[in-house]
Amino acid sequence: MKNLKKLLCGALSLSMILALAACGSGSTTEESGDAQQASGDVPVIGICQYGQHGSLDNCREGFLQGLEQAGLVEGTDYTIDYQNASFDDNMAIQIAQAFSAEDAALMVGIATPAATACYAAAEDKDIPVIFTAITDPVGAKLDSGNITGTSDVLPVEGQLKLIRALQPDAETIGIIYTTSESNSIYSVGVYEELAADYGFTIEAIGVTAQSEVTQAVDTLLAKNVDCLSNLTDNNVVGVLGSILEKTNEAGIPVYGSEIEQVKLGCVAGAGLDYVQLGIQTGLMAAQVLTGEKTCQDLPYEIIENYALYVNSTALAELGLTLPDDLAETAEEVGA
Amino acid sequence: MLDLIVSTLTQGFIYALLSFGVYITYSVLDFPDLSVDGTFPLGAAVTAVLLLKGMNPWLTLVCAALAGAVAGLCTGLIHVKLGVRDLLAGIITMTALSSVNLLIAGSNLTVERAVDTIFTSAPVMAVLGGLTLSGRKLVVSLVLVVVVKLVLDLYFRTKSGLLLRAVGDNGTLVTTLAQNKGNMKILGVVLANALVALCGGVLCQEQRSYSAVMGIGQVVFGLATVIIGVSLIRFFVGSRAAQGMRKIPLLRFLASPKGTTAVLLGSVLYKFCIQIAINAGLPANMLKFITAVLFLLVLVIAGRRGEEIIHA
Repeated sequence: MKNLKKLLCGALSLSMILALAACGSGSTTEESGDAQQASGDVPVIGICQYGQHGSLDNCREGFLQGLEQAGLVEGTDYTIDYQNASFDDNMAIQIAQAFSAEDAALMVGIATPAATACYAAAEDKDIPVIFTAITDPVGAKLDSGNITGTSDVLPVEGQLKLIRALQPDAETIGIIYTTSESNSIYSVGVYEELAADYGFTIEAIGVTAQSEVTQAVDTLLAKNVDCLSNLTDNNVVGVLGSILEKTNEAGIPVYGSEIEQVKLGCVAGAGLDYVQLGIQTGLMAAQVLTGEKTCQDLPYEIIENYALYVNSTALAELGLTLPDDLAETAEEVGA
Repeated sequence: MLDLIVSTLTQGFIYALLSFGVYITYSVLDFPDLSVDGTFPLGAAVTAVLLLKGMNPWLTLVCAALAGAVAGLCTGLIHVKLGVRDLLAGIITMTALSSVNLLIAGSNLTVERAVDTIFTSAPVMAVLGGLTLSGRKLVVSLVLVVVVKLVLDLYFRTKSGLLLRAVGDNGTLVTTLAQNKGNMKILGVVLANALVALCGGVLCQEQRSYSAVMGIGQVVFGLATVIIGVSLIRFFVGSRAAQGMRKIPLLRFLASPKGTTAVLLGSVLYKFCIQIAINAGLPANMLKFITAVLFLLVLVIAGRRGEEIIHA
């Protein structure tokens, strides 16, 4: 026990001394980073994922596939340092700083807070940053500088077409979003802009916490909305199960915004395939990693094509039928 | 390795400002103040907005601290003048602030690299221009936290500072001295939240971003650092090393460290625990668990020693 204590004290004081020494030698670290790469070490790709979440996991898996598709081999062309911040902004900050400290050749931020933390940590050594799963990179000011990536902007127009096809008489669409998520605010704006073209009005309710979501559903149901449409709002999607319980009881369909939501019981959705988004990101990252292109050469990309997902079980329960022309292209993902 | 220590120390120093605030409310005043989760992002929001408007980065920090002070004043007044329980007074302010922060910032904000922060502004560059950005961040945050610590130490020795400490230890004494206990409490909460908002402002400049959820869990962090720091110091004061140092005149002042030193140490240690957990290379889902185990280890080691002293 005594020895342990001494060890702890020693370690603490040592770290302080080392830190002071580091101030003096700080200016030499940049060169040492370059030297390491020149000496043939395998470059490290640091992946900071914001939290444990199906879509974000798909993004990461797709990203790794994308690197492979670009012809890179793990172990010889790159190694992966993957960290998950468990939805904790401070954790994301420290993860990103650890990447910078190990002179990562590239940092990848999955979801906005992770990308922002990476970009801040990358400033000192000007490490390139690749992001994915950010809806509005322009609003997040991550669209210029040594950073690029892919945006998961929602195919809102496709979703509105889908709802019109399934519910020809529907008038109002209810949307629940988190007021602090800039991605959600942006998406609601897009919905409101396009809704009139398809004869819809939008009834949007903002919440500040996950615990308020079910109350928001009650409010929307009381306002007699014809259906709900989901964004990729983590707070809301996180309690999709209890949302569906309420809407099924009221006989109102919920439309999802990506494959996982439709699997969970949304009737249908025009959504992104996050694996595909990840692959696209991986291909971009490969170009930056090999030095073929820089982030400045590559503007951020969005997915042009979206997929239609349906859950026949959920459709049948609500007495909805899928028009034949859509049935041909839609992918059945229900259990 | 050195880079990692530098960036972790920087985080520890910046967050120590928040720990000072929590130390004043929780430890000195005996007031469990939950407004922290709201005043921390408030400081960041004010700083981000003003930075983007082109204000001098140091001036934005003053504004952030003032905003935090006003928020602290609300908590203090709600508790003292309206008679709401201390915990609830903090919760009310925190809840209101989540809307206020969104009103101030609009949404999450990013400060572009072209905008000068306290780490890149001209006076700092003139003195520390030879260092890398992370070197400058370390030095600036160290200077900032040491200055704040010394000012706080001096304040605690003034009449007002002594009264503040008395409110937490023995409120009746303050009343018998014909002083208003309530006003002292309000002053303490104002001071604490100014420090917390200052911390939010500095972090916003370091991270070049403000996010609406950045305040979540900050009060827990603050409490943990205060408890870890105070336990460690208690362990140190009873140690042979400290006893030896007391005999040497020049080192005597080091032998009985102040509470502010304790929380500064606690904050740095907390950030190191998290960094160790990240670097342990364990599955991502285990991160929080490892952090918890490290804290437990620190507290048990320090706590055992405390017991030994009591029994001796």
